[in-house]
Amino acid sequence: MKKRIELTINGEHYEFNVEPWRTLVEVIREEAGLTGAKESCGTGECGNCLVILDGKPVNSCLVLAVDANGKDILTIEGVAEGEKLHPLQKAFVDHGAIQCGFCTPGMILAAKSFLEKNPKPTRMETKEAMEGVLCRCTGYVRILDAVLAASQEMMQENKTATKGGK
Amino acid sequence: MNSSDLRYLMNLPKFEYFEPKTIEEACSLLHKYKGDAMVLAGGTDLLVSMKKREISPKYLVNIKTIPDLNYIRYNGEGLLQIGALATLNEIKDAKIVKEKFPLVAEAAEKSGLPTTRNVATMAGNLCNALPAADSAPLLICLGAKVKIQGVEGSRTMLVEDFFVDSKVNALQNGEMVTEIQVPVLPDNSAGVYLKNPERSVTDVAVVSVGTVITMDAKRAKVVDAKIVLGATAPTPMRAHKAENTIKGKTLDQELIEKAALAASKEAKPRTRPDYKRELVRVLTIRAIKQATI
Repeated sequence: MKKRIELTINGEHYEFNVEPWRTLVEVIREEAGLTGAKESCGTGECGNCLVILDGKPVNSCLVLAVDANGKDILTIEGVAEGEKLHPLQKAFVDHGAIQCGFCTPGMILAAKSFLEKNPKPTRMETKEAMEGVLCRCTGYVRILDAVLAASQEMMQENKTATKGGK
Repeated sequence: MNSSDLRYLMNLPKFEYFEPKTIEEACSLLHKYKGDAMVLAGGTDLLVSMKKREISPKYLVNIKTIPDLNYIRYNGEGLLQIGALATLNEIKDAKIVKEKFPLVAEAAEKSGLPTTRNVATMAGNLCNALPAADSAPLLICLGAKVKIQGVEGSRTMLVEDFFVDSKVNALQNGEMVTEIQVPVLPDNSAGVYLKNPERSVTDVAVVSVGTVITMDAKRAKVVDAKIVLGATAPTPMRAHKAENTIKGKTLDQELIEKAALAASKEAKPRTRPDYKRELVRVLTIRAIKQATI
């Protein structure tokens, strides 16, 4: 029996009729047509399906779509502001932190939610926070470089924004 | 492309789905469908087992739609109460847990990945009853209990007794865990949870050791000791002989090694026994030392 659910994805309102056994990643990809989140292992180990659900990073392959009813979801498609890349996206490009690109959406979302909690992290803290996303190209060094560079950039932006606001 | 074309992915088997609004309603659903119904809380273990076709429950009872099961509070009389829906990260980050129950925070922090901890619940970790359940050893050391609600009333039970066999908990038909209760740590006590591999991204612990040791006021003798081994028997198990080795004694290197050897002999590993026993011995030495620094 299908159930009617309402989701807010990247600020847009969606309504779907879904069977209870459909996972959130399936619905985001197949119903909403947003293919940034990837299903890879399907068992919560790789983090490639990572989305931000009500402000928290989760593996969307292990969340039932019906269970996300009424919730707010951010996927990689909602991170840039129009043509303007998020500092993390820009840093990933500048640092060559994207190899095949498959893990990039999960990496950037994991980093984004981490930096919101801890804007000035150490390399070790960053490693621990991002251990839930696997890069099979093993390009971790540049990914960490990019996240730490972006954290500097974002602090700078915040300072400028605060000054500008005064 | 529809979902049936994606057979190479891990799809969920079909099931009927319920969203009860009260604990009573959830229990009566579980009672009605007996072994065919399972509780869905965080789902990070349940859905994986279903995708792998290890289990195929006909009915899932989602308890996240029940209000008032998500809380972490101190009752003011020495008891921490953790609602069945409190996630591992909520527990780890709760002010009262950090301040008054640091070992509960440690148990939560050392369970699973950061992303998993945003969804997975501590109660669910216990209910799955895996021998390697990361939150179990310290909870058992602390004398924690689970509150169980059934169709005919509620009862409490030590977490130690809640684990019956590998993947088997003590819940009867129509029952669910609604709360974990943790007594405050006695004075002059400290504890630690160690596992190998120390930080494993995807694997469950090969061996883990939780310990809580209470010293006398002069910190000279061991008054009480709890040592719990994970992943070395069908359930997390107390290493009673190791505990008795150090109780009432003054710790030195020789005694610690004797206790650790006792623990390694008590362990009942089902796989790789020699390797696991050696891990138990080494981790027990480290755990006793770290809990008594």
